Amino acid sequence: MRDRRRCIAMRLRRVHRLAATLTVSGLLFGTAACGSGSGSARAGDPNTLEVWTRSDPESAQTYDRVFAAFTKKTGIKVDHQPVMNFDQQLQSRASVKDLPDVMINDTALMGSYQAQGLLKPITPASISGHDEITAKSWSSTVGLDGKHYGIPYSRQAMTLFVRKDWREKLGLPQPKTWQDTLALAKAFAGRDPDGDGKKNTYGMVVPGSAQNGYVAWWGASYLWQGGVQILRKEGSGYRPAMDSAAALRTVTWMKKNLFCGDNGVIQPSALTSVTANTTNFQDGNAGMYLTGPYNISTFDKALGKDKYEVLPAPSGPAGNNDVLADGENIYFGARTGKAKQEQTLAAFLVSPEGQELAMTGDHQPVVRIPVNSTLDAAKVRDDPRWSVVQKAYETASVQFPNAPNFAPIKQDTADALNAIFTYCGSDVSSGLKELNDTLAGDLKDQDLLK
Amino acid sequence: MTATVTTPGPRRARFISKKAVLPWLFLAPGLLLALVFKFLPMGKGVWLSFFEVRPFLGDQWVGLDNYTRVLTDHRFQDAIGHTLVLGVGMSLGGILVGSALALLLEGQARSLKIIRTAVFLPVVTATAVVGEMWRLMYYPTSDGLINSGLGLLGLGPVPYLDNPDTALWATMAMGIWMLAPYNMVIILAGLAGVDRSLYEAAAMDGVSLWQRLRHITLPAIRPALGIVLTLAAIRGLRVFTEVYVLTGGGPAGSTDVWMTRAYTLGFTRNDIGGASAASVVLLCVTLLLTVTVNYLRKRGDVR
Repeated sequence: MRDRRRCIAMRLRRVHRLAATLTVSGLLFGTAACGSGSGSARAGDPNTLEVWTRSDPESAQTYDRVFAAFTKKTGIKVDHQPVMNFDQQLQSRASVKDLPDVMINDTALMGSYQAQGLLKPITPASISGHDEITAKSWSSTVGLDGKHYGIPYSRQAMTLFVRKDWREKLGLPQPKTWQDTLALAKAFAGRDPDGDGKKNTYGMVVPGSAQNGYVAWWGASYLWQGGVQILRKEGSGYRPAMDSAAALRTVTWMKKNLFCGDNGVIQPSALTSVTANTTNFQDGNAGMYLTGPYNISTFDKALGKDKYEVLPAPSGPAGNNDVLADGENIYFGARTGKAKQEQTLAAFLVSPEGQELAMTGDHQPVVRIPVNSTLDAAKVRDDPRWSVVQKAYETASVQFPNAPNFAPIKQDTADALNAIFTYCGSDVSSGLKELNDTLAGDLKDQDLLK
Repeated sequence: MTATVTTPGPRRARFISKKAVLPWLFLAPGLLLALVFKFLPMGKGVWLSFFEVRPFLGDQWVGLDNYTRVLTDHRFQDAIGHTLVLGVGMSLGGILVGSALALLLEGQARSLKIIRTAVFLPVVTATAVVGEMWRLMYYPTSDGLINSGLGLLGLGPVPYLDNPDTALWATMAMGIWMLAPYNMVIILAGLAGVDRSLYEAAAMDGVSLWQRLRHITLPAIRPALGIVLTLAAIRGLRVFTEVYVLTGGGPAGSTDVWMTRAYTLGFTRNDIGGASAASVVLLCVTLLLTVTVNYLRKRGDVR
């Protein structure tokens, strides 16, 4: 009996010990897991900046090279975090009020970040070399209150990529107007430009999904070429302008000719396509793509330099060939006490040396059109095609207004356009009217409706 | 006499208390992890749903505004409809196909094991990969796998995902393809417990196949079906990755489900308060549905 009791006691002790070990390891795991994202250790080191960039592993290597040169030059260390799903991660970090010191991300997100109070205001004069950045670039970082909330880092504008070999084979000229573009698209789709005897080519590539606002991003250039404004600035506020005659004309043209017109003008499944799964141009079965110049390196590898040409966008009925310009800004996270180091990093990133490093190298370049006006993209890269992009940015480009929070505006525009293009029998006018009301609601939510 | 009665009392009490504490000690690590990674964030989500979230400018209390906004938004209302159609269709389809597969693939033969493993593959494949694969299969020209099959019959090609009338059904078909093998495994486990002698007795009585299924197999696998139904109901409501990868909610919002709307609200429009409210509504509905399904199952079992 006593033996049995001792045995039970021993077993219990053993169990207790095991339980204690498990509890402690559980606790440790818990704390370790909690601690890993807090960045508290890094935050304590004044000589280390935590820098987030929205980049994939390929472009992250270019950033690494840039930051290594910066550390070598200044002694300030950079804890570089390339983040793919940037916004999701940033919102998580914002919810625990611990932001990275410096962030490099899209220009159009500035309004959204500022609305949430994530950014520190910036005095351009505090960044050495600020006078080498053009007024056009600086103007794009002004917030609603007139203060700057970002430093321009890279700019780009859309251009038209055309299969040169197909176009020449069919004996057609470079497209200069929407009509030329449509005729070329129809020829690419119907006249067997690859000569394999099958009807398996398409005129142009369209990422037409509403997911993440893609169709608004791609379609914006067409809207501007048609004389449309999504929002119109009025005094200190904005008014939605998607119920205009120009909007009706332009969206109707797009719907009739691209989405609901002849089969093959755009690639199949365009209405659910985002850029990541819209690979028809580099796959060699579509002839045109209006997109950003970051694709040049991909197309060079997939198709070969000689197969395609980079052209300015054709003009629309409004007589201009304006295209969407966007790019990246450098943002300073709110409430970090490393202003000096942050300014030193920004000054390096916009300097000719920093920009050149980010434009060249073996990996995907992270600066497309330099913001530093002393540099010429085509010369730095020894590639004349880049001058087409630089010229498009400088002379024929429009940016999404980033002072209001443009994220809901872009998403609602995309939702409406995607619906209009999907239902071929629908009434464009009522679709645009509904969009206009939704945009008015978005502006009202931001206290910006005039 | 008194001493003999009182002495074991405290001892036993001490022993019982130890016994009572022990399971909790074992559970502690798991509970702690669940608390930190599940229940605290969940509580925070519920809390945030009453605010306009602006971490650095101070969150603003808006009461039930976020809920009103989400519930009166016509896109969310459409999304409820799509979620229900998709959830019910995928659950029932998954159970029917899963049961059929289980009945077909029940047995000990080695070849059956290989086929069962092959059939189970969709479950262990990442949903994002499955989505991309089905996008290719649904490709709306004769190059697409399914359309090339239709072409042989002189039909098609059908734009499965680009037509708002077919996109939801196409998504459902992929969901059933993914769910059915999982259900099959649970139902197979249920089938393994069926008393073989009942089949033999039934065979001697000369009953039909349908009668055998109706009176022997179905009652025997009722508990397994109950589990499958509960899991399917929960999974059906929180469907996200399938839709996000395959259609992104489009075209024209025809496949938007509750979770894709909540995601867009939270991470495209940066409206964390609204997204939290939408998630809390989903949590409540899921809870309600789970409790109802369980209640009905138990009532069925008693009967």
